[in-house]
Amino acid sequence: MKKLQRWLSTYGIFVALVLECVILGVSTDAFFSTGNLSNVLRQNAFTAILAAGMSFAILTGGIDLSVGSVVGLSGVLCADVLNRGGGLAAGIGAGLLVGAVVGGVNGLVVTRVGIPPFVTSLAMMLIVRGAAYKYTDARTISGLPPGFAALSQGLGPTVVMVAVFALTWLLLMRTPFGRHVYATGGNREAAWLAGIRVDGVLLRVYALCGTCAGLAGVLVASRLNAGYPKAGEFYELDAVTAVVVGGTSLFGGRGSIWGTLAGAFFIGILNNGLNLFHVEPYDQLIAKGLVLLAAASLDRWRLQAA
Amino acid sequence: MTLLAVKGLSKAFPGVRALDGVDFELRRGEIHALIGENGAGKSTLIKILAGAQSPDSGSLLLEGAPLPVGDPLAARRAGVSIVYQELTLVPELSATENIFLGRENAGPFLRRAEMTRVAQAQLDALGAQVRADAPVRTLSVAQQQMVEIARALQGDSKLLILDEPSGTLSGPEVEALFKVLRGLRERGLGIVYVSHRLEEIFALADRVTVLRDGKLVTVSPVAGLDRPQLIRWMVGRDLAEEFPPRTGTPGTTVLEVRGLASRGWFTDVSFTVRQGEIVGLAGLVGAGRTSVALSIFGALPSTGAITLDGKAVRFHSPAAAIDAGLGYVTEDRKGRGLFPVLGAGENIAITYLHGFTRMGLLQVARQRAAAAQAAKDFDLRSAGLDQSAGTLSGGNQQKLLLARYLLRPRRLLILDEPTRGIDVGAKSEIYALMNRLTAAGLAILMISSELPEVLAMSDRIVVMHEGRMRGELSRAQATADSVMELATGGRSAA
Repeated sequence: MKKLQRWLSTYGIFVALVLECVILGVSTDAFFSTGNLSNVLRQNAFTAILAAGMSFAILTGGIDLSVGSVVGLSGVLCADVLNRGGGLAAGIGAGLLVGAVVGGVNGLVVTRVGIPPFVTSLAMMLIVRGAAYKYTDARTISGLPPGFAALSQGLGPTVVMVAVFALTWLLLMRTPFGRHVYATGGNREAAWLAGIRVDGVLLRVYALCGTCAGLAGVLVASRLNAGYPKAGEFYELDAVTAVVVGGTSLFGGRGSIWGTLAGAFFIGILNNGLNLFHVEPYDQLIAKGLVLLAAASLDRWRLQAA
Repeated sequence: MTLLAVKGLSKAFPGVRALDGVDFELRRGEIHALIGENGAGKSTLIKILAGAQSPDSGSLLLEGAPLPVGDPLAARRAGVSIVYQELTLVPELSATENIFLGRENAGPFLRRAEMTRVAQAQLDALGAQVRADAPVRTLSVAQQQMVEIARALQGDSKLLILDEPSGTLSGPEVEALFKVLRGLRERGLGIVYVSHRLEEIFALADRVTVLRDGKLVTVSPVAGLDRPQLIRWMVGRDLAEEFPPRTGTPGTTVLEVRGLASRGWFTDVSFTVRQGEIVGLAGLVGAGRTSVALSIFGALPSTGAITLDGKAVRFHSPAAAIDAGLGYVTEDRKGRGLFPVLGAGENIAITYLHGFTRMGLLQVARQRAAAAQAAKDFDLRSAGLDQSAGTLSGGNQQKLLLARYLLRPRRLLILDEPTRGIDVGAKSEIYALMNRLTAAGLAILMISSELPEVLAMSDRIVVMHEGRMRGELSRAQATADSVMELATGGRSAA
């Protein structure tokens, strides 16, 4: 029983994902069409990239609610730099940089002031969203140079997403920093006494999470072919959902980056499937909520077994 | 007269028979010690009695009537109370509120005055110096335990189970606890007393039941028994020496602290630790010994002079102290030591991961090989390096922490209660390990509340009382009396 619980909490999401694809493949013609599949990949790449960064925050036992707002600010900054003739590299760089800075501020407040990540990042969510509106006077920045939109066409977002996940896997599983992330989330006091510079770990975790959000912001702007200050609203919730559905414990210290990827696509394909069956959007929200509850219950259930 | 009769009790967990046909008898007005090494089945037995687990087979009769099993509330109503090793009080609530937690005396509103009066009467009857309206967080550990016992005795209790109640108490506090328990015995209660401290069994218990590997070894009156006999029953063999002899002469001074102080914790502490030497830091719980250790280790801000190998140092984080060659093995393995979810190997390697990298990337094979070697050196018994640290036995968890801090060569190792909650067999392994380490030149500062351990293993003993250093005793000067005299605030004759 305990073994089953542990196995399910680690690999359950992969089984669920495969089952989901099989069911949709059997019951619809459209699901396995090239057009639909590449759509699913493109649409969910943004969430997956955000979720990759969010995985770090949640693995330390924290959370970052500001990533959705960062998507908005990063997008408008990137668009503005492009429109001022800064060039593609400068535009992308600006988007990534603002993400890293916001994440760094999150990390500093969490470690230096000692405010819990939930509250810190909630405040940053409001501040950054406000900044995005202020920066643009709540207008959309359009008329971007040709070529920028190409970033998010075809396999573009998918390639970026795969690269992000390969890198984050390497960071988490094959560097001291990654192992320190797990140790910090598993037992912060013990990590500190074991000689891990916990504050440094947390600072880097939030900077990384913010950078992922900045990158997602650039891709979203490219997809919209505009800097839209409202972009990314509620994305933070999708990212948290993907991570939790992917089997990462909200209590920290346990989870895998591949689970997060599977979690993001499980939710994405659920939306896609419900669309194919012409289910009302309101019912889709309810379905997502139920899936989140089920995944979180599985986490509790496993904890009780341990 | 028999209060509780247990016959043929068995309970299996996957891969282990925790209890195998165990009989147990408890009389009214008896203090009955339950002993055995870790994994002997003591915890399983008391958890079944308290209804926290269900047996696979066997009968349990309380005053001739079947005891309800697998239901803590029903066991409690039948008169079985338990005080677990870890205190379970809510710190922000008062003693009264804790005692009545879940059984509040109320109509539509709480009858506060009534509850406080009853709680105070109960605490007074126990002889506990506790004000019933005091918030629990302001009470000492010993006082909190009294509140736990008062809570356990709320209602009609016939049988009281205490699981390692003295683990966090010392000297006079243990004596006070014993007085309370003897008083309860007079009132006709049956008391099951689980402890690793054998001297307590001689001081307190009427009879003793010994378990080993889930089986009953023997039941015997305590009068006429001696310590070696008890140990033989527990481990099933002779432990030639519980404490291996200390040999060797100390070398140069490794650590020197002068006038070390930390506001609110302790003040004016000065001592030295030399190469190859074990210095014991003795005192009662709350004397400030752990704070001294944390200050040296960079985990607590302090003033005063610390020199390491003749150089003045001041560490601002444990990481810096570790880099300089210090190690600190905590008394609180679960809370501040282990990463329960991570594997045993990773728990060992975690402080030194940068030593196993190439171009920033971990070389997992090298890391695992080093952890495997350390596990072998320290005779760590696990189902492999990937077994979660949280599922290891107490003794193996302790070896794991030692291995962690000794993965690299060290100058000074601070051991905080190195054998707390560890069974007799694993204890002497830890002692042998300490001797091996000092023979190799390591300096050890050992905090311990167990007097026999302090006396047998220390080359010198520094004694603290209420945040102040009371004196230093050489091995020749140190006796149980001279250490306790200083630890309770007296002056040494020496």
